[in-house]
Amino acid sequence: MKVSILIKTIGFYAALACVFLGSCTKGKTNYEAERGEVIEENNEFKEVSNVVTSAYTVSIEALNGVLYRGYNDIRVRIKNTQTNTPVEVSGLTFLPIKTTVMGEKSSCPNQYHFGYKSADKYFSGYTVFTSESGTEGSWALYINFTVGNQTFSLIKEVAVRQQTNKNLNMTVFRGKDDEQYVIALIAPRKPNVAENKLVAGIYKLNRMLDSAAKGPADQLQFSYSQVERYTLKLDPRMPEPSMGNHSSPNNRDLIQDKDGLYHGVVNYTMTGNWTLNFILLNPEGKVIRGTEVPKDFTPGVEGRKSELHLDILF
Amino acid sequence: MKKLSLVLFILSLGLDVNGQIAPVKRDTTRRLGEVKVDATVKRKIENDMKMAVSVDEFLASSDNISFIKRGAYAWEPLLNNMSTERSTITIDGMHIFGACTDKMDPITSYVETNNLSSIDIKSGQEGNMHGATVAGSIDLKRRSTPFGLQQKVGGAYQTGFEFNNKQAFNLGNLFYSTDNFVADGSIAFRKAGNYYDGNNKEVLHSQYNKLNASLGLAYKTSPLSAIRVDAIFDRAKDVGFPALPMDLWLSRAIITSASYKQLFEEGLVKVWDTKVYFNAVEHYMDDTTRPENLVHMDMPGWSTTYGLVSKINLKKDRYSSEVQFNAYDNLSIAEMRMYPQDRSKQTMFAYSWPWVTTRFASIAMNNSWEISERSKVNLGGSLGWNYNYSKYVEFNWIFHPGASQKKNRWLPGLHASYELSLNQFDISLGTGFGHRAPSVSEAYGYYIYNSFDRYDYIGNPDLKNEISYEGNASVGFKTEKLSIAAKVNYFYINNYIIGRILSLGSPMNYQSVGVKGYTSLKYATLFNTAINVDYKILDNLHWKGVLTYARGKDDEGGNLPFIRPLSYQTSLHYGYKRLGLRTSLNGDFAQTNYSPAYGEDQTASYKIWNLSADYSFSLGKFKSVFQVGAENLLNEYYSTYADWGNIPRMGRNIFTSLKVNF
Repeated sequence: MKVSILIKTIGFYAALACVFLGSCTKGKTNYEAERGEVIEENNEFKEVSNVVTSAYTVSIEALNGVLYRGYNDIRVRIKNTQTNTPVEVSGLTFLPIKTTVMGEKSSCPNQYHFGYKSADKYFSGYTVFTSESGTEGSWALYINFTVGNQTFSLIKEVAVRQQTNKNLNMTVFRGKDDEQYVIALIAPRKPNVAENKLVAGIYKLNRMLDSAAKGPADQLQFSYSQVERYTLKLDPRMPEPSMGNHSSPNNRDLIQDKDGLYHGVVNYTMTGNWTLNFILLNPEGKVIRGTEVPKDFTPGVEGRKSELHLDILF
Repeated sequence: MKKLSLVLFILSLGLDVNGQIAPVKRDTTRRLGEVKVDATVKRKIENDMKMAVSVDEFLASSDNISFIKRGAYAWEPLLNNMSTERSTITIDGMHIFGACTDKMDPITSYVETNNLSSIDIKSGQEGNMHGATVAGSIDLKRRSTPFGLQQKVGGAYQTGFEFNNKQAFNLGNLFYSTDNFVADGSIAFRKAGNYYDGNNKEVLHSQYNKLNASLGLAYKTSPLSAIRVDAIFDRAKDVGFPALPMDLWLSRAIITSASYKQLFEEGLVKVWDTKVYFNAVEHYMDDTTRPENLVHMDMPGWSTTYGLVSKINLKKDRYSSEVQFNAYDNLSIAEMRMYPQDRSKQTMFAYSWPWVTTRFASIAMNNSWEISERSKVNLGGSLGWNYNYSKYVEFNWIFHPGASQKKNRWLPGLHASYELSLNQFDISLGTGFGHRAPSVSEAYGYYIYNSFDRYDYIGNPDLKNEISYEGNASVGFKTEKLSIAAKVNYFYINNYIIGRILSLGSPMNYQSVGVKGYTSLKYATLFNTAINVDYKILDNLHWKGVLTYARGKDDEGGNLPFIRPLSYQTSLHYGYKRLGLRTSLNGDFAQTNYSPAYGEDQTASYKIWNLSADYSFSLGKFKSVFQVGAENLLNEYYSTYADWGNIPRMGRNIFTSLKVNF
């Protein structure tokens, strides 16, 4: 009889422990899912569009199958239309051109000569679309490729959409040197509350060459170039008034690496809205654009932003 | 230092409760008594004034405990003027860790006086039986009714009202005891409103509401063995913390254990006692009652611990020994979510404890030899292993790039003491050495807001072990009427962990003024001394006095924070037939050695005068006691050196209580 009491008792406690284990009053945050809510995973290359001719099928691929305003990695695959097998292509050029309703044509920071990845048999490059398709104008891709001695050309209109991931934001501005610049964020696509490697492309609009040149492609392919040996000073802050101009430690300014892109470090101390305040310096150390922001902790006051900044959210 | 066994006065009334972990058969109780290793002096300290004390009030009557107070509830006990990271606080040897990053829930807040029998305080390395420590250990002993009491069913009921904060409490406990089965149960409710300070001003957000229940069942499996299961459930709701920018919405703890105890009649081993335990704590803060806050925040915390404690007692002739094995696994999680004024916008989230696992195992031994009738040598040691793992270590990397995600530490500890009694004198000398690992907050804390110095604190996973070297001595003198005891201890602590202002980063909590990182001072020193005097003026008139002094310094000679200034407690007790009269005076002198660098300002002296009267009578066949009294009779307006944000303490408080034993 006594033993049965004992067994009941143990059962009671086991049940009690189970109930408690499985039932906290408030649920814990699922941190991985939390970050995923804001930034959808799009790290897979999918076809954006294709052009089918009698001989070749040209397929243009980007992450998630969408071209966004801002920085895009792009792949081009060329296959034999009949056999559906990759074709030996000796070179490929890629040029996006925007045409406004007034008929003005312009391009954007772009890799003109795509590189060939022989292992996976595709061409790869990048483009920084400076606007979305719409009232401002429409975008078309001018692609030339060479098979044997023959050069093929094609033009394909594409849609450029708004980038919803603010971590891949971009900005176009005029510097104190009266030149037009573009800064586009490339990484991190999905930041963490952590030390994040920050990568950006910085480009400059070249002054127009002789307008009497032959075709638009010949002229526009040189419209932007990567800037060399500049420095992008970084001061990340949370603009929310309640955060009182909160910042983070151990950030590093962006400097150019061998890949031509600008690399630095940004630390995000919590999720939410952040502003990357920048100051762009030319190789001589002169300020091209950007202002120092206040460093004091000012609760209740919305953080002042540099005249050169990008807002991000994660 | 001497082991002080604080026996709860209120519980000793009318009930013969022994404080051993598992009850034993009547005829083996005596045998067990012989086996017990604590030949150290047991002294009964009662709270002089009140018979219905809270756990905090009760602890406060010990001369090496002081408190950090953030309100009227859940005071953080400081042992030897060191904060809770440096001491091990356990319930019957079980490790439990609070779930609040702001230390709003010390372990002592999860028990009630009516489910405790005594509190064991050991100073310094003598306290390393339960795990690595620097300051010592506080073990809260559960009450457990022995098997086979003459009175099969019994209990006590206590109720009372305190007028200052309209606190009403009801405490009840019940036991059932047969020769091989025992059940213990207790339940306690406390509800208090805001209290009023010495200027009769209401201290907003100082209310609390607590429910505590416990159940213990024991079954004797053989004449020399027993098993026992225990559970404590504690729930605090709507608890105000006037010194903090937020309150507690809800905290809940479930503390469970199952133990097996075996006694041996012959041989070296006398008792073997093993227990497995599980406890879970959840703690949710609430700032919706503070409209002045700029930002709405959620700060939930969880702490879950599994553990094992196994102990054997050995005795042969004049040698006795205690060997204890401890192991536990704890997971501490604390979150912080801030809501922008525009609630539709994205919230801001971070972990203040990024899922930190602590695993600890230690083996500890304490030996004592009675060299002669008059002298005794104690020698003990422990070796602990401490492992930490931070799941989201990227949070820690923001301030400490590349810090280790996993960390193993070895924590040795040693202590030795010599005790001598010469006629009316008792003399003891002791020394100790020990390591401790940084706490979860010290190692992995992330933007933990400290409203005392108003800094956000950042942990450092690669902090070195704190290493303590201590010396202690005591002298006692006793005659029939007079007893005097003086004790001193001195700690030299290498790599003393404390928050230092970081030039990096900026605060996250809008109330804070900067960021501090936990860093190691080269060393710090701490000196504590206390003198106790007891004098029997007449048979029914007793006088008691305690004087304590402490001094703490950092490696540059600056003051350490939270060191109690010169303080005193003195009381007079007069008994006449069924009537008892008590009066006491206690206070601190002005705090001259305060530490502005750690956010302290000078605190003025204060003195508190208390008075109470109790009357014992029979209510039918039940023994009853009624008490009425007043604390802070002169309604002094004061705050102590350790009051968070200098919040004023309670003004005059008239209290009444009635206790019925059945």
